[in-house]
This record gives sequence, structure tokens and C-alpha cells, in this order.
Amino acid sequence: MYRYDEFDREFVRQRVAQFRGQVARRLSGELTEDEFKPLRLMNGVYLQLHAYMLRIAIPYGTLSSRQMRKLAHIARTYDRGYGHFTTRQNLQFNWPALKDIPDILDELADVEMHAIQTSGNCIRNVTADHFAGATAEEVADPRTYAEIIRQWSSLHPEFSFLPRKFKVAVNASDADRAAIKVHDIGLQLKRVASGGLAFDVYVGGGQGRTPLIAKLIKEDLPEEHLLSYLEAVLRIYNLEGRRDNKYKARIKILVHELGAEPFAAQVEAEWERIRNGALKLPQDEIRRIETYFALPVLRSDLPKAKLSAPDRGFERWVIRNTHTHRHAGYAIVTVSLKPIGGVPGDASAEQMDAIADLAERYSHDEVRVTHEQNLILPHVAKADLPAVYKALKAIGLAEANAGLATDIIACPGLDYCALANARSIPISQAISERLAAKQDVIGELKIKISGCINACGHHHVGHIGILGVEKRGEEHYQLLLGGSGAESTALAELTGPGFGPDGIVDAVETVVDTYLRLRRGPEENFLSAYARLGMQPFKEALYVAEAA
Amino acid sequence: MSKKIPSLSVITANRLSDGAVVFLDFEGAWNTDFAQANIASSPDEVRALEDRGTYDAQRNIIVEPYLVELRELDGRLVPIRQRERVRIAGPSILAAVPGYVAPPVAEDEDITQEAA
Ligand code: SF4
Repeated sequence: MYRYDEFDREFVRQRVAQFRGQVARRLSGELTEDEFKPLRLMNGVYLQLHAYMLRIAIPYGTLSSRQMRKLAHIARTYDRGYGHFTTRQNLQFNWPALKDIPDILDELADVEMHAIQTSGNCIRNVTADHFAGATAEEVADPRTYAEIIRQWSSLHPEFSFLPRKFKVAVNASDADRAAIKVHDIGLQLKRVASGGLAFDVYVGGGQGRTPLIAKLIKEDLPEEHLLSYLEAVLRIYNLEGRRDNKYKARIKILVHELGAEPFAAQVEAEWERIRNGALKLPQDEIRRIETYFALPVLRSDLPKAKLSAPDRGFERWVIRNTHTHRHAGYAIVTVSLKPIGGVPGDASAEQMDAIADLAERYSHDEVRVTHEQNLILPHVAKADLPAVYKALKAIGLAEANAGLATDIIACPGLDYCALANARSIPISQAISERLAAKQDVIGELKIKISGCINACGHHHVGHIGILGVEKRGEEHYQLLLGGSGAESTALAELTGPGFGPDGIVDAVETVVDTYLRLRRGPEENFLSAYARLGMQPFKEALYVAEAA
Repeated sequence: MSKKIPSLSVITANRLSDGAVVFLDFEGAWNTDFAQANIASSPDEVRALEDRGTYDAQRNIIVEPYLVELRELDGRLVPIRQRERVRIAGPSILAAVPGYVAPPVAEDEDITQEAA
């Protein structure tokens, strides 16, 4: 579990006190907005379309029941009864009053949480596979390294004013559930021939207006060199990254413009200088941090699970929303925050409380937030699955749709976001309603929607991606096909001219129906069919029929 | 090149203390009700709204003031951009938000006269 050390505790309290003073000075007029804005952003406070927004860090998406209950309490006491889980495994409150935010931050500090480094040109919250520590597929728990990176990057004096924000993701299974190749740095942990642990280091991936897939610049980096190598990468970026143009300031542009090899050579030269210095990780320290994430004591004497039941809904849910656990008697449960026609990623205070109860009772006190805007109960005994399902059903969160067409990622879009061109959420709701009846037939399909080019809704890596644009003051949507954020990362391609808010839902259905018509069988999923067929048949279905 | 001055505009901002969306009304107060907004219909009036926004931002009453351009539609004045229509109406999806609690309808606090 994420562990505050004494340093974190002390520092976070100081920071809240400092921000309390800054808010008071802002409200009294002593600080101007220009002076205050960078201070509020450093504490996760944005000004959005309708109100302030507070973004809270959830390191590598891991929460305890106590922390989840605190989020519920804040939603109820200071906000409007709900919160929004984001594609960066964070949580956002959409309506806090500025005057209340210091109190909210104090409440968060009580449960070892904060909003630091959730904004600004610094190293942001490190993300990781949401099945970490529970899946049988991984070589080791990636959160050990995410935590090491968190400690190193928190308030790193050299990297507090980078050319742009910087995002790191860590994965340790063959299946990439952390979308590492669309991060500034993506780390793939593996076991090497010598038996030790090492990283493949991918640099320069990202979405936004210039989507690029990260390049592999270092293979088999021994774990003890993780921080020295990251420091070398960040140093080259800090020196060479462009500060003259915000749109060209991300490391992906630097790697792209310099070329991966020359960039890697510069990093290598810097790394040679520092690799055996203070950042070399002692084995003891790695193993000590590993214990933070030790697998809870799981029972082997559990009664045999009854996984088939007369309840067809339960059966579907077990098939769709549970994943193999490393322990045979347990399962990893995906709590879908995508009820049919619902708002992706939103949860009410009551739902948060109920999930905290479930985590405490059935999942060794742990909840995870996924970048797909769902929650995970990582360690549920199979015998407890019926009880968990029943409890989730009671709070409207038992939709059996993980990975299906209604498990849609949608950014807040124009309903909340000041930068948006178009709404994302109503489009996702309409698609969800439209495809719900046939989602089981369609099979795995990832639909991702962003309300502007910043791509918080990951549309570039959607099997079907949707991008909201503004056309003469009105909402308009571009459609993209064939992207993937998984291990075979691919960027989606534009189908052609965009669609209005009504047309986009029909267009998605046309794409889905075309796939169903042309696939070789249910075993050929959308992405495989797209790889075989290419864009043409989808284009024809979308535009030729329309023109006829 | 001189900036094009829109005709038919209102000025909007966020209230400093809680971020609420406000419009300058015809009594010169910042009001959460768009229906009460003071509509400028000449370049001089638009400039006056802008000046007032800048002044009240400097006085730390509101933040990020900007003009919203309107047009007539079916006999009503509405913002030209969908963005501003959503800003006025609020999120379009609140009915589907789990647990959404609307804020109590309070009288607008008079923030106009707050000292800077
Ligand atoms: S993609 Fe654009 S609209 Fe959506 S949350 Fe990000 S910045 Fe806002």
C-alpha cells in the first residue's frame, strides 16, 4: 500500500498551512489572480467552465477503504455529492468553493492524501497497472517502482519547472494495462536471463495534438539504475526541451526532432556520469519498499466457490468483470463505473462508501482506480463473489461490461472543462444506450472520447476514437478507428469528415455493424478485423452510403 | 490589426470565492442569472463592459472576465458558441450524475461592493 513516510506527513501539512494563507490572501485581495494562479495550480486547483475543480492524486491508483470514505465525505460535505475518477487514476471534484479548499486539503492530509503535482510542469502522479500485485501475469509488483519514482520526483528541485508536464507509467505484465507507450516515459519491468529484474525504457510517447508512440531507448536497465537513468532522461529533457512553444514542449517532440538514437546517446552520456552516484538504488531499499505492497495473507482453506448460479446476470458479470488472480481461490473484480447510459467515471458519495465497505470486508482493504475510469477490488475470494455482486447491484454498479462497447472512456468535455470544444459525456451516454443490447455479440471494443485535442479521453488509442471539435460555434465530432493503448500500441486513423452530435452516434453504430458483418467470427475482435480489413470498408459504409 | 469588437455581448466571469459563473447585470452587480445580464449592443457599450470586467477583476471580486457574443434565435438572445450556452445552462448531464445534489438556491450575495 502507498505509504506516507515522516517526510511526506510533515511536508503535506506544511503545504496545506501555506496554501491556507495563500487562499486567505487571495480572498482578501492581497494576491492578484496572476500571482495566485500558479500557487493554486501547484495545489491541484483549476478554474473550469462552471467552477473551481480540485484534482486529487491517487498514487498508482491505490486507495484504502479509509481513503475512499474520506473522498465520499468530501463529496458530501464540500462538493455536490459525487466525484469523477479520471484517466490518470486520479479523482476530481467539480464544484469546490475556493474558500473551502484548505479545509478539504486538511481532511485529505488526515488520510495521507494530497493534490500536489496534479498540475503544472512537473512530474505528475505516477500510474501503474491496476491489477498490480494481484495478477499472476506480472514479474513483480510495478507499484514498488512507481513508489520509488514518487518519492524521488516529489518536489524534485531540479524538475519542478520542466518545459511541460511529465507523465510516467509502469507495467510489469506482458499485457500492458498502463498504456506505457503513450507516456513521456513508459517502463516495462521484466525478468532478465540472469534472474534479476530490469526495465525496458520507452520515451517520448503521448497523445494530445501530436500523438506519438514512445521509442524504446534502453533495454534491460537493471532495477538499481532506475532512478539514475530517469534522472539522466529528465536532465536532457530539461536542458533541451523547447520552452518557446507550449505545443512543442513535451519530451515527445524533442525525441521526435532529435531522433531516438541521438536522444538516447545524450541520455547515455549523462547516465554514465551519474549511474554509480547517490541515486543507485540499494537492493535493501528496493526490497524494503516492496514490502509496502506485500500480498495480503490469503486463505487456502476457503469453501469451494460456486461460480455458476441460476442468476444469468451474475454469470455474465463473473465472465466479464473478474480476472484471474495469482491465488487460485481469489479473483480480481472490476467494478464498472459505466452503467448503461451513465456518466463514465462518476461515483456518488454513497457508492464510494459502499465500495469502501466492500473493500474492507472482501478485498483486504484495497481499491484501485483504473485509467479506464473503473474501480478494482483486487483480492476477492471467489466464494465471496456472489455477495460482492449483490452489493454492487444494490448500488447500481454491477454492469457486466468490462472491456465491452459500453465501457467507454470519456473525458469531462464541454460539460465541465474550460478547454473543451464539445461535450464528451452525452455522446458516451447515447452510444452506451445504443450499443447495450448487442455489446455481448460485439465482444471486446474500446471506445474513447475526448472533448478537445488534448486527448484526456485517449481517443488516439481507442479501437474507436471520437474527438470533439468546434465548427462555427457548434459541436462536431471526428471519428477515428484502429487505435490501441495496449501492448501492440497503435494510433487510430481518421475516417474522414466529421459528424454532428446526432450523426456521431449513428456513425459509431455503422462502424460496429460493418465490423459485425465482415468479421470472420466472434473470435476475430474489432481490432484484429480492422487490421485485416483496413479503413476502406468502414469508410464506404460511413460515407458512400451517405452520399448515395 | 485592431481587435474586432463584437456587438450584442454580455460579460461573464467566475466569482472569486466559489467560482460560480456570473454575468454583469443591468444594476451593475455580478449576477448568477444570465437572464438579468446587461446586454451591450454597440461598440461603446461593449467596451464599457470590458472595462468593468477588468476593473472588478483588479478589485478581486471576479476572475477571468470575458465577453460572450450573442445572436438572436427564435426571438431570444443566445450565445453564438455552444461553449457559452453550456456555461449558462450548466452541465447538460446532471440528471445522470449519481448522487448529484443541487446547491441550495440562495439569494446572490452582493459581491459588487466588496472592497478590493
Ligand atoms: S480532452 Fe480537452 S475537453 Fe477533455 S478534459 Fe482534456 S482538456 Fe478538457
